[in-house]
Amino acid sequence: MESLLQHLDRFSELLAVSCTTHVSTWDPATVRRALQWARYLRHIHRRFGRHGRIRTALERRLHNQWRQEGGFGRGPVPGLANFQALGRCDVLLSLRLLENRALGDAARHHLLQQLFPGPGVPDASEETLQESLASLARRRSAVHLLRLNGYRENPNLQEDSLMKTQAELLLERLQDVGKAEAEGPTRFLSSLWECLPKNNFLKVIAVALLQPPLSPRPQEELEPGIHKTHGEGSQALVHWLLGNSEVFAAFCRALPAGLLTLVTSRHPALSPVYLGLLTDWGQRLHYDLQKGIWVGTESQDVPWEELHDRFQSLCQAPPPLKDEVLTSLETCKAQDGDFEVPGLSIWTDLLLALRSGAFRKRQILGFSPDLSSV
Amino acid sequence: MAQDSVDLSCDYQFWLQKLSVWDQASTLETQQDTCLHLAQFQEFLRKMYEALKEMDSNTVIERFPTIVQLLAKACWNPFILAYDESQKILIWCLCCLINKEPQNSGQSKLNHWIQGLLSHILSALRFDKEVALFTQGLGYAPIDYYPGLLKNMVLSLASELRENHLNGFNTQRRMAPERVASLSRVCVPLITLPDVDPLVEALLVCHGHEPQEILQQEFFEAVNEAVLLKKISLPVSAVVCLWLRHLPSLEKTMLHLFEKLISSERNCLRRIECFIKDSLLPQAACHPAIFRVVDEMFRCALLETDGAPEVIATIQVFTQCFVEALEKENKQLRFALKTYFPYTSPSLATVLLQGPQDIPQGQWLQTLKHISELLRKAVEDQTHGSCRGPFKSWFLFIHFGGWAEMAAEQLLMSAAEPPTALLWLLAFYYGPCDGRQQRTQTMVQVKAVLGHLLAMSRSTTLSAQDLQTAARQGTDTDPRAPAQQLIRHLLLNFLLWAPGGHMIARDAITLMAHTAEITHDIIGFLDQTLYRWDCLGIESPRSGKLARELLKELRTQV
Repeated sequence: MESLLQHLDRFSELLAVSCTTHVSTWDPATVRRALQWARYLRHIHRRFGRHGRIRTALERRLHNQWRQEGGFGRGPVPGLANFQALGRCDVLLSLRLLENRALGDAARHHLLQQLFPGPGVPDASEETLQESLASLARRRSAVHLLRLNGYRENPNLQEDSLMKTQAELLLERLQDVGKAEAEGPTRFLSSLWECLPKNNFLKVIAVALLQPPLSPRPQEELEPGIHKTHGEGSQALVHWLLGNSEVFAAFCRALPAGLLTLVTSRHPALSPVYLGLLTDWGQRLHYDLQKGIWVGTESQDVPWEELHDRFQSLCQAPPPLKDEVLTSLETCKAQDGDFEVPGLSIWTDLLLALRSGAFRKRQILGFSPDLSSV
Repeated sequence: MAQDSVDLSCDYQFWLQKLSVWDQASTLETQQDTCLHLAQFQEFLRKMYEALKEMDSNTVIERFPTIVQLLAKACWNPFILAYDESQKILIWCLCCLINKEPQNSGQSKLNHWIQGLLSHILSALRFDKEVALFTQGLGYAPIDYYPGLLKNMVLSLASELRENHLNGFNTQRRMAPERVASLSRVCVPLITLPDVDPLVEALLVCHGHEPQEILQQEFFEAVNEAVLLKKISLPVSAVVCLWLRHLPSLEKTMLHLFEKLISSERNCLRRIECFIKDSLLPQAACHPAIFRVVDEMFRCALLETDGAPEVIATIQVFTQCFVEALEKENKQLRFALKTYFPYTSPSLATVLLQGPQDIPQGQWLQTLKHISELLRKAVEDQTHGSCRGPFKSWFLFIHFGGWAEMAAEQLLMSAAEPPTALLWLLAFYYGPCDGRQQRTQTMVQVKAVLGHLLAMSRSTTLSAQDLQTAARQGTDTDPRAPAQQLIRHLLLNFLLWAPGGHMIARDAITLMAHTAEITHDIIGFLDQTLYRWDCLGIESPRSGKLARELLKELRTQV
């Protein structure tokens, strides 16, 4: 067992080196050895996939390494972050070496010979490295073809394939980090927030929070009690959002009203904070007598229309959220003096607008406004 | 060898030109043309690889100076990369061009260029910068998320198609026909990639609301080909849609079945049943349109082969499988019998479709007489002199061979006077084109034979000679004459069932089987009888054993 773990360590180092210029010192023999090691680990993955204890031990070792490298936020995610990655480690290594321009001619030539030996007797027991790479290339073309011919971005973000895929990746990674360390996900998410493009990140978080709960992956059976579903990742996200007011404010600002309503319906823990934020935004507006509208004082204040849209969307959510929102609005209105006349309290005006909007819509469409289709 | 290389050079020029025209296959015409040539181009690549691997890099460039252009153009055509194993073979070809030890800058540059092409084939697509940063930030490589991304894209497209199909004019996101057509073209190279199955299924099943067919011809052909070769697994409902929307596919499937039947061993109904069930035709035929086309093709085959017994057997097995499938189908779509058999009286069709197992034993004779009456009426109502009328009725009747066999058994088992109706039925089954006089004569002959057999069954000892005498009651010498075949089958039946039959069986058969054709006929009879007993679950151990042994022995003789 110890030798296996050491093997794992050495291979992780190898993998890290494989995308640096250090490979210029590699000769064909080194390449061959590296690929052999990868093949061995892939074999280990197949052999012990169902063996709970060994699998856990290997994963724990990987997580330790990750932690030692600064882990969970202070450094890049290593190539092998969980047990599953072992099943692809040979492809990972191969692609890194192929992409690396620093690799010498002789070594490269040898690499290509090893990766693409040509037609031979197919090994029925497991997919060869050559087959894996060809299959990857084929899938790449498939994605390319579908994108060019007939694929459209889905206006509902949570159904968009690219968004969904990113969300699935995020949830999986959070699961890995959560397994390695209890507080891991929070630190990890904070570090991602620092270095990733924020707009995309926020969208992915929203989509991740809307993913349906996963059923256990069929080929990976773990000992009972260890297995976690998407639920864990979602919880980590909610926890992090609630603990980071700056992030949450950006989250609520950047995303469309309908999406936020869906997220809040699904995760009730967020609704008080969301409503609180909306309340804060509302209080920053004042009534401009000349123009007859509510305006903000600073440029970054949320305008009336946006505020109204968000409340309108929330009012179309199913109870209990809808009721919570209405109650909150009524309370604010009461605190402001319970005026019925417009122009004095933003809460009065909002309620008036929401009610008349609902009435008008009912008239036009001939039925009562129900759940938003978004 | 020299001829091969000349061929290769010719092909090479052809393909170089084609690839130039196709470019990146971004228009309808180039896409269609590429799809038509995908298989042939892959063959060409294989031949190229075989030639290239024997040479070193410099020789290759000498021999095919424009090879890099050819391979590069192929690499930039996504349809080619997506097809079957083409991407793998391209990689092999490219690897042949790499110089192990580049001597000059030219060779280095070539290496560099090849490297770039390999990279292109294997590397990730460029998504938005934000997405790339995101996945990298999480520590994921394309190998990690490509399968998931493809799955999500396929499911998203499939659900869009389904929504389009269900909501029609109502949906906001109506799929334009050009988009659907484009998707179907794109699926052609990807048909054998399992990830894409849900999309293929959705394309077949959801046909939107356009009055004319939107999907591309190449798509249907590619799907059908993959189904025949078992390279794709689709639910039966999707295959039914395929055949309903594209008749040539159904025809091709039937032809494929015929080919398999012709090339396989004669006279083995179990195998025929296997092929038929495999083809999904029985289940698909629950849809009347498909049943009619299949039946028509069987009818043509029967006429072409002049009523070959193998075709008749196939039709019977098919009908059996079809009836089974129909019973399972059940549920919503229940078509009237008339839609399957439009030219038959409903009462006749209903009665024939029932299997003997659905009717209590005591009623068999009654039912047989009823069938005989209905058929006789249908046949004798037709215009005299033409065989077409009787042929229609006969064609219907032979679908359900079990009834004829039951009639024979009934005649043999009962000691009473053989009913005319049953005699007529059998005479008709074996000789549909006989004139009235001929048929009457056959019935008389059979009656005489039955009388002899009855007498023989009462005696304590049997001899093969006696049987031969009984058979000689007929005056026909033509072994293929309907009466001869019918009498032969009656005798065989007798041998299987009569208490003393098994002792004289071998001798009797030796006397009967004096030509190869007759031997085949006997084998066919035994195989069919055993198959029928198996299906119905009726068999007496002694008869079954005898039949099996005889079959085995006869099979070794031919």
